[in-house]
Parts: sequence; C-alpha cells; structure tokens
Amino acid sequence: MAEPVGFFTDTTVCIGCKACQVACHQWNDLPAGHGPARQSLPVLSGNSYDNTGSFSDVNWRHVKFIEQFSPDPDRTQAAWLMMSDVCKHCANAPCLEVCPTGAILRTEFDTVYINEPACNGCRDCISACPFGVIYMSETRHVAQKCTFCYDRLRKGLVPACAQACPTQSIRFGPLDHLKHEAEARVRQLREEGVAMARLYGADDQVLGGLNAFYLLVDTPETYGLPASPKLPSRSVPRSSVWSIFSAFLTALAVLFAFRSRTGNRPAEEEP
Amino acid sequence: MNLFVADPHWGWWIVLYFFLGGIAAGAYFSATLIEWVGREADRELARVGYLIAFPLVLLCGVVLIVDLDRPERFWHMLVKSEVVHQAMREGWPWSARSWHLLGRAPLLKWWSPMSIGSWALWFFGLFSSLSFSASLWPSAWLARHFRASLPGRVIQFLGCAVGFFVAAYTGSLLTATNQPLWSDSTWIAPLFLTSAASTGIATILLLTRWRGAVSPEALNRLERADLWALGLELGVFAIFVASLGAVLVPVWSTWQGKLLLLGTPVLGLLLPLAFHLRLGASGRRNALGAAAFALVGGFVLRYAILATPPELLARGPAVFSGTGWAGQPSGGKSSVVAGFSPEDGRTPGGGPGADPGNRPADLQPRSKVFADE
Repeated sequence: MAEPVGFFTDTTVCIGCKACQVACHQWNDLPAGHGPARQSLPVLSGNSYDNTGSFSDVNWRHVKFIEQFSPDPDRTQAAWLMMSDVCKHCANAPCLEVCPTGAILRTEFDTVYINEPACNGCRDCISACPFGVIYMSETRHVAQKCTFCYDRLRKGLVPACAQACPTQSIRFGPLDHLKHEAEARVRQLREEGVAMARLYGADDQVLGGLNAFYLLVDTPETYGLPASPKLPSRSVPRSSVWSIFSAFLTALAVLFAFRSRTGNRPAEEEP
Repeated sequence: MNLFVADPHWGWWIVLYFFLGGIAAGAYFSATLIEWVGREADRELARVGYLIAFPLVLLCGVVLIVDLDRPERFWHMLVKSEVVHQAMREGWPWSARSWHLLGRAPLLKWWSPMSIGSWALWFFGLFSSLSFSASLWPSAWLARHFRASLPGRVIQFLGCAVGFFVAAYTGSLLTATNQPLWSDSTWIAPLFLTSAASTGIATILLLTRWRGAVSPEALNRLERADLWALGLELGVFAIFVASLGAVLVPVWSTWQGKLLLLGTPVLGLLLPLAFHLRLGASGRRNALGAAAFALVGGFVLRYAILATPPELLARGPAVFSGTGWAGQPSGGKSSVVAGFSPEDGRTPGGGPGADPGNRPADLQPRSKVFADE
C-alpha cells in the first residue's frame, strides 16, 4: 500500500492561467472540441472571462473565475477569486458509495478511480456527487472524472496538473505533509490580516476529509462549494423506516377492504 | 438543497420505469393480499393483478437497460464484471478455479438503493412470472401446486414483500443522492409506495371492468381498497410537502414544482377521491373515472419529481454566489455533517466496506502514454 497522496490547492496564489487544464487535457488525451463529436471549436461563454464554464466529461480540471464587482451601478471596484477545481477524492466518497457495479474504486494511493471497463453508464454517481464532478462521455459512454493521474502515480510521477502549475497553487504530495504545509500557510495569511483564510476539506469535517483540499479566503459557497456536503446514504435508514410503516398501512387498507366478514353484512354494502 | 451538483439526465425512460414499475408492484402486492383474505369471488381480481404485473416488469427491465449508456453491460449491476471476465480467462466452464471465481461473482451493496434494487427487480420478475403462469393456465400443474402447497404460499409471501420493496426503493434511490428536492425529503419512498398501491389497484379496476367477469360485490370491495389507498396517499403526500420545509419555495418557483405540488394532489388524489365519494349517487362509472385519474396522477407525480431538480440546476447556483465580494466578505461558517458510509470500512463503527471486490488483479490505469504494460 502506497502512501495516501493529495492535492493542496492554495487559491490565493492561483492566477487563472489554466495551465493545469491544458496539462490535464494533454496527458489524458481529452479533446478540446465541443459537441457530441468533440470536433467543433470551443465557444466563448460570453458572460465571464472563463470559457470552460464547468466540469465536463473532458474537463477534469476547471479553473473557476469568481468575478465579484462592487454593488454600485458603475461597478467601480472588482475583485477576482480563482480556484482550480478538481475531483476531491473524498475519504467517504458519495460516488463510490452508490456505484452499483463496483466500477468506482479506491486505489492504493487513497484516490478514487473509475475503472472504465466495469462502468455501465447508470449515472447514479453523477446524482450522488455533491460537487458536480462526474459527467458522462458522449463518445466513451462511461462516467468520466479526474483519475488523479493514476497512471503517473504508478510510475512515481507528479500528476500533470500539479507538475504544470507555475505558481504552486496546486501542490501535490503525501497527505500528512500537505496538511502541515496548509496549516502553516493559513497561519501566515491570518498574521498578514487575511482573516477569512480557512481550509476546506483538510480535516475530517467534509465527507471524512478530502484528498484534494483547498485554502479559501471566503465562504465555500462563494467558490461554488457546498458548505456541508452530505453522504447519499444518510437518508436511507429513515426513508426505509417510513416506507415499511407505509407498506404496513397500505397492506392493512387492502386487507380490511377484503376481509371475509365485510361483504356478508348488508349494512356495510355500498348502496 | 445543493445546487452545485451535476444533472444525471434521468429522463423519460426513468419516468416510465417508475410509473410502470409502481403499477406492477402495486398490482402484485394487492393481488397477493386479496388472494389471502378475499373470497372465491375476489379471486378474479387477484388473477388480473398477477396477469399485469409480470409483463410490466419485463417492460421495466427493457426500459432500464435502454436507459443505460452501455446497455450491453446491464449485467454488471448483478455480478462483478471483472471477476466474471477473470473466470472466462481461467477457462470457464472447464476449470475448477473459474467456478470458484464465479462463486464470488454476485455483487450486492446493501447500502446502495440501485444495487439492492437491481436484485429486488430480478426477484420480483421471478416471483411475478410464477404467479403469471399460474394465472394464465389455471388448470396446469404449476397452478395447482402454487395455490395449495406451502412453498407456493412462501413464494407468494416473498413476492408480496419484494413487491412492496420495488414500489418504495425507487423513491429511496432518488433520496440517496445530492440532488435538490430528491435528497431533501425522506418521504419520497413512502409516497411512491402509496402511489404504487393506488395506481396498481386502479389498473386492476380498469381491466376487470373491461373484462367484465367480476361480481359487483368483489368490485365494491376493490373500490373500497382503492378509496383507502388514495386516502393514505393523500396523507403521505401532505407529510411529503411538509417535509420539504425551506426547499418548498425554490421548488414552487419552477413549473415542474408547481405541477408536483398542485397537479399531483388535484389530478391523482382529490379528483379520484371526489369520484369515489360520489359513487353512491351516479353508479359505477365514477369508479372508472377515479381509476383513470389515479393513473394520470401517478404519472404526473413521477414526471414532476424527476423533472424538478434539472430545472433548479439549470438556474445555476446564483442563489449562493454573489452574497459578497472580496472587499466585503460574506462571513459564515461551514457546518459539520455526520453520516454513515460503509465505504472501505472507514466508518468509526466499522462496517462491511463498500469495496465490492470488483477490481481486476492487474488493474491497468487509463493512460495515453503508458499503454500495454
């Protein structure tokens, strides 16, 4: 068993260059085109400097541009937050939990990996992922997401995105080591007056801990991250109890309507 | 409500499956219950229930397979594909090792509604096929043994239980996600179950009326069962709406949500109930009206529940972003959410582990560069 590895993404030094996206596309042979055939040219979003928009079957990395403007009519002041988003490789991964085929599995590096030959495209993982990471490929017809460059890890290489990042916003390494680094960075930022500096997913509060965790300087929602993502299974026990209760009542209704005595008493017959 | 998720595109095929599967399950468990306590005159009702359950389940299986992005891999739901492939490589059926491998091929994750539901559907198909053939050929060997013997009774009881499960698990399947609306209520499964009862009974009612071979007393009893099932569904629907709480407002803001919150109770519950309660005045035609509207309402319910989250997601997470800008941070604190995950046995309480063992011994990572090693 290899050592658990992770990404520590320090959003404060991200410059939005999208080198990580390009490296990911190139290493994993992901097309840049749009449409089912992935041949037409990429389109401009028209409402943002970000033209990727969201994760997709070919965008396993997505640098989010959080473009914030002051509320005055002329929008005189602007502030940009940038964050290179990726599959979080959760310790308690919702996708892995629901996958009915066992196609989603955990690797020896503690990462979450989709074994494509086993996936049959039921899309349960898409509805389970609280971060909207997984998409269906229109060409491969299986679920797609970041593999954490499983092939590179096997060869002892750094994942392509972290290798390409020019500002070390994406840091790769053993999970324990990264967490120490991250805490030191938060302390440093707070001393410099960035009061909102916080880690997201470094401890076990978010789905048991995220192997890809983040340093944020605003609320998680501002970055498009749910503050309290939940496991799909959380509701199954209660839902089951209420279902059994309802089944019992339904059975009683049918049984009482048909119990033998009822029909024998003319008083209870329908007029 | 989590608006940061992606849409799984569970569309018309799944609506159709939820609707037809509900009718099949409702008709089947109603039929078994009718056969247990009903009299000879009621037997025809049960027979009709059995006759519709199995063809509908077959249709459901086809619909579900068609909905997969890889229909040819539908069997991956039931057995570990990688283990089966390994067994084939080991020379099945000519080697002992391949048989040993196949022995551990069945795949069941009891905490995943889709996994356990796949098995339930398979067993439901098995039980309903037995009941179907016994009903179709009443004088054949199977029918005579099916009704009289203890194994026959046990099979009927199990079939009834699996029928209830199939009726409800589709709701749990939606709840066990992170989609808006679906994951916000634990009452979708009970709602689907009671709707399965009312739509199943409604179908029996319509078909027996059409065949016309049932005594009026038996039909009276079936109508009474329908009335009570509808009453129960109305109660569960009210609890479901109450359970939505703060989610109610965004759900209501979509037309699909309005269809769910207004169309379902009016079409599927209030109109049939009104027809039923006027039954004494204007005769049997009202029961047919009630049944027809119950079916329409059951379909609208499935459609609206499946169509609302995509509509909410299409509006984007604008509800959350823009709460502040960097100059004026919005503040706030992320909260802790406890849950259980049997995955990898990482839960503090332990557990069987989510890894179903469907990984090849020599797992080859997807790679453009390091191919065939």
